[in-house]
Amino acid sequence: MTMIKINGTGYETKAGETILETCLRNNIDVPYLCYHPDMQKQTRCRICIVEVNGKIQTSCNTLATDGMDILTDTEEIKKLRRMNMELMLAGKDFSSYKGTRFAEVAESVGVTTSRFGKNSNKKIDEDSPALIRDNNKCILCGRCVQKCQNVQTVNAIGFTNRGHATEVTPYFNRSLNDVACVQCGQCSLVCPTGAIKEQDNITGVMQAIADPEKIVLVQTAPSIRAAIGETQGMEPGSLVTKKMVSALRKLGFDRVLDTDFSADLTIVEEGTELISRIRNNGVLPMMTSCCPGWIKFMEHFYPDFMPNVSTCKSPQQMFGALVKTYYAEKNNMDPSKIVSVSVMPCTAKKFEIRRPEMRDSGYADVDHVLTTRELGDMVKSRGIDFQGLDEQDFDPLMGQSTGAAAIFGATGGVMEAALRTAADILEGKELESIEYQAVRGMDGIKEAEVEIAGMKLKVAVAHGLGNARKLFEHIRKNPAEYHFIEIMCCPGGCSGGGGQPIPTTNEIIKKRNEALYREDQGLPFRKSHKNPEIIRLYDEYIGSANSEKAHHLLHTGYSKKNQF
Amino acid sequence: MQILRKTELRAFERAKALGPDKVLEELEKSGLLGRGGAGFPTARKWRMARDSAASEKFVICNADEGEPGTFKDRLIITKNPEIIIEGILIAAYTIDAKRCFIYLRGEYEYLREGLQAKIDEIKNITQTEISIEIVRGAGAYICGDETAILNSIQDMRGEPRIKPPYPVDKGLYDCPSCINNVETLANVPLIIEGGWEDKRLFSISGDVREPGVHELPVGITARELVEPCQPKERIKALFFGCAGGCIPYKEEMIISKDTVAEQGAMLGSCTIIAVGESRRIPDVCKNIQEFFVHESCGKCNPCREGNYAMLGLLDNISNNIGSDAPDDSISTVEELAGFIKKCSLCGLGQASSTHITTALQHFREEFTK
Ligand code: SF4
Ligand code: SF4
Ligand code: SF4
Ligand code: SF4
Ligand code: FES
Repeated sequence: MTMIKINGTGYETKAGETILETCLRNNIDVPYLCYHPDMQKQTRCRICIVEVNGKIQTSCNTLATDGMDILTDTEEIKKLRRMNMELMLAGKDFSSYKGTRFAEVAESVGVTTSRFGKNSNKKIDEDSPALIRDNNKCILCGRCVQKCQNVQTVNAIGFTNRGHATEVTPYFNRSLNDVACVQCGQCSLVCPTGAIKEQDNITGVMQAIADPEKIVLVQTAPSIRAAIGETQGMEPGSLVTKKMVSALRKLGFDRVLDTDFSADLTIVEEGTELISRIRNNGVLPMMTSCCPGWIKFMEHFYPDFMPNVSTCKSPQQMFGALVKTYYAEKNNMDPSKIVSVSVMPCTAKKFEIRRPEMRDSGYADVDHVLTTRELGDMVKSRGIDFQGLDEQDFDPLMGQSTGAAAIFGATGGVMEAALRTAADILEGKELESIEYQAVRGMDGIKEAEVEIAGMKLKVAVAHGLGNARKLFEHIRKNPAEYHFIEIMCCPGGCSGGGGQPIPTTNEIIKKRNEALYREDQGLPFRKSHKNPEIIRLYDEYIGSANSEKAHHLLHTGYSKKNQF
Repeated sequence: MQILRKTELRAFERAKALGPDKVLEELEKSGLLGRGGAGFPTARKWRMARDSAASEKFVICNADEGEPGTFKDRLIITKNPEIIIEGILIAAYTIDAKRCFIYLRGEYEYLREGLQAKIDEIKNITQTEISIEIVRGAGAYICGDETAILNSIQDMRGEPRIKPPYPVDKGLYDCPSCINNVETLANVPLIIEGGWEDKRLFSISGDVREPGVHELPVGITARELVEPCQPKERIKALFFGCAGGCIPYKEEMIISKDTVAEQGAMLGSCTIIAVGESRRIPDVCKNIQEFFVHESCGKCNPCREGNYAMLGLLDNISNNIGSDAPDDSISTVEELAGFIKKCSLCGLGQASSTHITTALQHFREEFTK
């Protein structure tokens, strides 16, 4: 057993744990900014200093080793931290950090003004539909760069210049909109200051709600119900589907519908496409297409896989295309008066709705995308007591869903959902065993071999683009190995999406995913093709899966994009 | 100068005859200390690299002489490149490395051709399988930091790495890497061949008519150092490069690592800038501060923002000297200097305020009057 002393009390350390980690595990407060439990240590901010055997050291990278005597809160350390914070705030406007982790740390250190620096006046990069970058707020903690370069391997952003002129910018100092950035927002998820954050769509949504002429419909992605509670003071892993529906009604949405419905639709379309590719010697392995971050990544870096990617739109876009057609028709609504809003764990979806292909209803299929964080802010600013809300159900016609759709939010979930449907169709009967454990969990790349109707299907799942890249390099060398691939751009799947609540860590993602699997188990239907509203949609509107009408509304195409 | 003696590969031959263990013994006996500044015992560094079981190891010669006022490595590279190459070969042989690099300061690109010709010539004579590649420095002071050199050779941003791991354990491409300064490596053949004396190269400049490199034994007086360079006026202070801080000039003071350290400064790589009495110390500090603001790599907050803020304070002080305004900025300067030293990530930042703390220690009245 290894013991260290922190502020005079003995604590046990775990192998490989740093001083900061031991402190946090034991609820001893040490401020930190550049450290993130899931990423490489950088030691840029230096705010996490402690005294180790009489010497000042950063705690985030120093391993806790036997017999260390650590002081976290001496007068000297407090003074050094205050100076450090003053320098971080040099030339900055403290009020611009409201609600961020940085503001919290600054307050805990006891500094909110600075003796140093003149107000900085750097250009704000707001061209991207998904993200906005304001370097006037940036403290150069480097978390975003780590995420983009090491986790996502996209390298859209990096450090430029030296010394005091150092900045985080997209390469060649361009706008984020003009580089090979996949708009995943993973950078914004780890940014402690809000210097990179999602584009605000709250204003547009509020205006639509306030407009009596408009009918405002909202859809909620699978992973929101397992994450939105965190923005309202609830524990990670809280499943709050019905309170979320209540909250949306309270906010004034005219209809509260569910992306889970169209996730089921995606599975029926995609499962049918897979079966047809297998039967007709189509291009294999087929790759999932429900994640716009991965689609953009593919268009920039792996366009050779374009024929492999399913032509199905993402659930958000299938939903969007139906809302102003099928749903409007059935409800006698004028589609030009409908404002279609989605709540997504995702910033890439803010980009996706602006793709020119996404107007198959004759209008913009989706008008506004709110992230989980934005919805959380709306609920809070309305003063809604979320935890005390009653439980309500989604509106009908596009509000019912199955367990297969719920797990879309977790890595491996789309694969599992597709296998549930494909197996039933291929075997021609209803199978009892529907849980595919091998594709669940947080391993970066997961593989499984499943036997369906005498056929051996080999499948693989990757999440996080760094893992996706590894898988693609492998497939390039072994093109015939797999039949079906699921790719999710964000680590952990949409539960770890770039629009999810801050903080998001692998630990928290696991809890959100567990909640989604709980949701799956609790629902009456667990296979997408069994969803009664989906069956009705095909009967009354689309005809059959992959039909001409389906292709018009529910499928799309891709185009090669530059790497630079 | 002893450092310009030609050893004609005799030392390399002798090293091979002795075997690595004996080479290490002789180095240990000599007591050779690294000449880069830190003064780490060379034999100990080599032994650590030799003891590592890794299959691939590297030797890196740090020729990124970036400290203002330092030009001793340039002298050796120009006048006796063979001895550096021989030193590298002995190091590679001793620690069992096959690939070596010379990280050559960007501004010394014009020396590359001559150096390369010597490498080819020696490779030809010795037929050794040890390779030596010249890598062009990124033109930043920070790249003189051992770990920043590693990043730079690996084509990454020239930022220092977090230590540990130390380069001798996990350096270039995560393999054990023995990084030595040019002057250190040039001393090795002299030691192995025999007849070596522990002398150091002093780069002396400032308010003198004859700046230059002088090879001197350690332990001579300040006057013996400065007089031969013909001071232009009475000397008031000696600055040890930008990073080493300053001491008041006292003719009979012995200049050694320890005596300089007693005054709060660092002898480091023996760079001496003599400052005449007509100059104002706060102005000198401001100039040095400009250097650090320019050379901070920008990775960590204390050095990046701290040095920038410090320049503002010094600028203010140097503009307001003579005016009677009460100045609490001196105490802010001291607080900031202490912070930068204690909290910066790498040696550059940690040393970047030494010039100020020592100037305030020895010439405080100049900052207030
Ligand atoms: S959105 Fe994603 S790809 Fe773009 S800069 Fe951020 S992390 Fe990189
Ligand atoms: S943008 Fe945010 S995450 Fe990136 S370096 Fe700046 S403060 Fe850190
Ligand atoms: S994984 Fe989910 S949250 Fe992330 S980009 Fe894809 S769809 Fe968006
Ligand atoms: S101390 Fe200065 S040079 Fe060193 S890492 Fe920090 S910013 Fe870079
Ligand atoms: S959290 Fe330790 S240096 Fe930033």
